[in-house]
Amino acid sequence: MPDIYISGEEVEKKPRKKKKTKKETKKKDSESPTPTSFKNPLLSYYYMPQNVEFETKDAKEKIYLVLRRHPVTNLKWALIALFMVFAPIFLSVFPILTFLPASYQFIVILGWYLITTAFVLENFLSWYFNVDIVTDERIIDIEFYNLVYKQVSDAKIDRIQDITYKTSGALRSLLGYGDVLIQTAGEVPNFEFLGVPNPEKVVEVIQKERLEEEREKLEGRVR
Amino acid sequence: MESFVFGISILTIVKGFLVFAFLIYTIFAGVIIKQVRLMGDTFKIGFEKNLNFLAIIHLIFAAGVLLLSIIVL
Repeated sequence: MPDIYISGEEVEKKPRKKKKTKKETKKKDSESPTPTSFKNPLLSYYYMPQNVEFETKDAKEKIYLVLRRHPVTNLKWALIALFMVFAPIFLSVFPILTFLPASYQFIVILGWYLITTAFVLENFLSWYFNVDIVTDERIIDIEFYNLVYKQVSDAKIDRIQDITYKTSGALRSLLGYGDVLIQTAGEVPNFEFLGVPNPEKVVEVIQKERLEEEREKLEGRVR
Repeated sequence: MESFVFGISILTIVKGFLVFAFLIYTIFAGVIIKQVRLMGDTFKIGFEKNLNFLAIIHLIFAAGVLLLSIIVL
């Protein structure tokens, strides 16, 4: 049968979308780590967290990692705090406050618990807010040495010269946490991510970003 | 039998010391609230409201102990 109408333009044939098999989908999911769910704000390792802000963050900056010391590093002060909580019970065995009237003893014990609360709060805040952040452009180290002294250091990822990670000791090897030591060509020559979970994954993420930065430089896409 | 130092009862001296110590501590608890807010401004991850609440509870506890020490002692 002759053609009724022939278009002047060649119709481009769209390639058919190949349906992924279940195996291929599973393989892709296992290769790329999934962003950490943000329901628990007390984790020590967040990969691609949402809704995280810090002081010097650029609007377009993407955060890849937020790291804290592994929770087990808090064991020392947690045990001391536990001892402090139960210490007044020993007053029945060692009556050191019997020279004071009962009301004074009660107030002294309340004061002891106030000090315990301050000890726990300070240590928790120190653990919670001392974070290390890896973005697509920089690494940032936020340190609060005490309640009145903070230090925020950052270095561009393309200025990183050397990365070392170590996991030494039985507990660290068992629980999978260690130190990541980063040497940079910046003003702050050394960054230390101490006691962080999955140090090998941290290094992997930073290395990936370093390669990406080099690629951006070659392609002229530097921000 | 109560002892006296320079005409002042030992218990009064102890009370004065305790009230002064709790007063300083209450001021420290107020500073903690300020510092928690500053820390929260430096790094936000979604738990700051809870920490501010904890710091306020701590201040109320400290103020309560101060008041109690003035009244009870």
